[in-house]
Amino acid sequence: MPMLEIQHVSKFFGGLAANADVSFSMEGGMIMGRIGPNGAGKTTLFNCITGYYPPSKGEVMFKGVRLNGLQPDQVCRLGMVRTWQKVRPLAKMTVLDNVMVGALARTSSLAKARDVAHEQLHIVRLDHKDDHLAGGLPIGERKKLEVARVLATKPELLLLDEVMGGLNPAESEEIIQLILDLKRRGLTQMVIEHDMKAIMRISDRIVVLNSGEKLTEGNPQEVANHKDVIAAYLGERVE
Amino acid sequence: MTPSPLRPAHRGSSLAALLAFAAAVILLAIFPSFVKKPYVLHMGVMLFLAVIQGQAWNVIGGYTGQYSVGHSAFFGIGAYATMMLLEVNKIPPWWGIWAAMASAMILSLIIGSITFRLRGPYFVLASISVAEIIRLAALHFKGFTRGAEGFLLSSIPPLHLFGTEIEFFTKRSFYYVGLLLAVVTIAANWAVQHSKLGYYFQAIREDQDAAHSLGINLSFYKNVALAISAAFTAAAGGFFAMFVKFIDPNIAFGLDVSVQIVLICIVGGIGTIIGPVLGAMVLVPLSEILRNPRGLVQVGVLSADSGVVRFIETYLSNAHLLVFGILVVVVILFAPEGVLGVIRRIVGRSRRRRTAPDAAASPA
Repeated sequence: MPMLEIQHVSKFFGGLAANADVSFSMEGGMIMGRIGPNGAGKTTLFNCITGYYPPSKGEVMFKGVRLNGLQPDQVCRLGMVRTWQKVRPLAKMTVLDNVMVGALARTSSLAKARDVAHEQLHIVRLDHKDDHLAGGLPIGERKKLEVARVLATKPELLLLDEVMGGLNPAESEEIIQLILDLKRRGLTQMVIEHDMKAIMRISDRIVVLNSGEKLTEGNPQEVANHKDVIAAYLGERVE
Repeated sequence: MTPSPLRPAHRGSSLAALLAFAAAVILLAIFPSFVKKPYVLHMGVMLFLAVIQGQAWNVIGGYTGQYSVGHSAFFGIGAYATMMLLEVNKIPPWWGIWAAMASAMILSLIIGSITFRLRGPYFVLASISVAEIIRLAALHFKGFTRGAEGFLLSSIPPLHLFGTEIEFFTKRSFYYVGLLLAVVTIAANWAVQHSKLGYYFQAIREDQDAAHSLGINLSFYKNVALAISAAFTAAAGGFFAMFVKFIDPNIAFGLDVSVQIVLICIVGGIGTIIGPVLGAMVLVPLSEILRNPRGLVQVGVLSADSGVVRFIETYLSNAHLLVFGILVVVVILFAPEGVLGVIRRIVGRSRRRRTAPDAAASPA
């Protein structure tokens, strides 16, 4: 049974189809890349999957459970959690407290949550900043905090929405290593990213969206050489 | 950088805070043995009342970030339930207050299920309207609430406790009940802050969508916060009704009750335990002096023919709400984090000066 199955999902905002009949599935343990030009419906699909709004049509199945109609907090406790493209630190709380909020999804003990939080901060290498206010972190560290916080909820499937956006090459490389490290630890991940080089390196499989529809799907090699993908990104070849 | 109110407290500093708190409570407990002037004790009771109200509001407004301006609903329910159980059913207030708190919690779940659908300013407006609806209902259903006629307390039966008999005639007895309730409310606030609830409430305040994605059931935890807040606000209401001995819908359910509760926190500093205490220490004396400057004469601070007394009586005695309004504007403009924010700024500045004398000397 695939870990996540998206079946004919459509999402309409009024007459606009942000997602139209998108289907794909992913197995546990893999990293799936999701790419597409601006406005392709990548984030909308994240929102549909994680319960921020129900899909207008179609079904989302996670570990065999139908997610339609579930709230984000229920989806999180089932083991699927997302980060935000525009980071959302709990600004007036410390870095450690931010991660503890994530950890408290699985325990009611502050002491246990604090241990889990320290572990996650160590994984993303932010442990030296644990007593800083989250609102005062620079963007690179905010992105790491975002990842540590969702890791603390002990997910089986992690949805990363442009965690490398706005980072410099060195910071991006750190995030890439982090994603690969998490894969080695057995975590399944779905990654939205604009950086083509990065997505080609980390993904086992890539789904390409364009204008809300699935354009193609395949391994990085296949996708990179697909003529529709090239057309969507660069325009048609002039003969 | 200002420390987060939820920062895991260092053992030393939390012990120091506990000792300071215990010392303050002991001082307040022996205070009436030295100062017996009714005006001072009256001021003490009003101060405790404001502390209870402020701490109670803090749970929903300060930690959870839901600025309810409809807390008169819970205050009024507390006052009416305690009063009516005593006057109609002859149930003494130390039992009645539990029923009052329970009714307020049930009411809070109904109000919460309506108002928590809204966020930000829309929530504020909804909380005001719901409280106003309840005030109008209390005025209208005369058969049950006696309408505008209100309730006058006949007498509180003596309380038999550990073989002694406590009479509730004197300001002094109310002073001790108020102190006890204030201590309990502060302890409850501390317990909330140092639990999963406190973390979840703050996460909701900081970013509802992020909190939601991290596994926090928003409507459940907002309702829990409101229920806790409502219960203690109702306790304050019941205590108030017994103390002033008369309530009607405008006194108990009026909009100005809600506004004053919020003011205690805004003036003192929102989202901390010490904030509402500081706010009460500013607002209560101010409001009492404006309402009755002769009290200062009684205490001996001013002489009877003092110009200050005459000035307040002539120009300000009915204008205490105006003075409050001006105070709020001043606080929002110059001290948006309340009295506590000002204190922190001063402490921070002097600490920096001590650690870095050169930096402070240079014109930065």
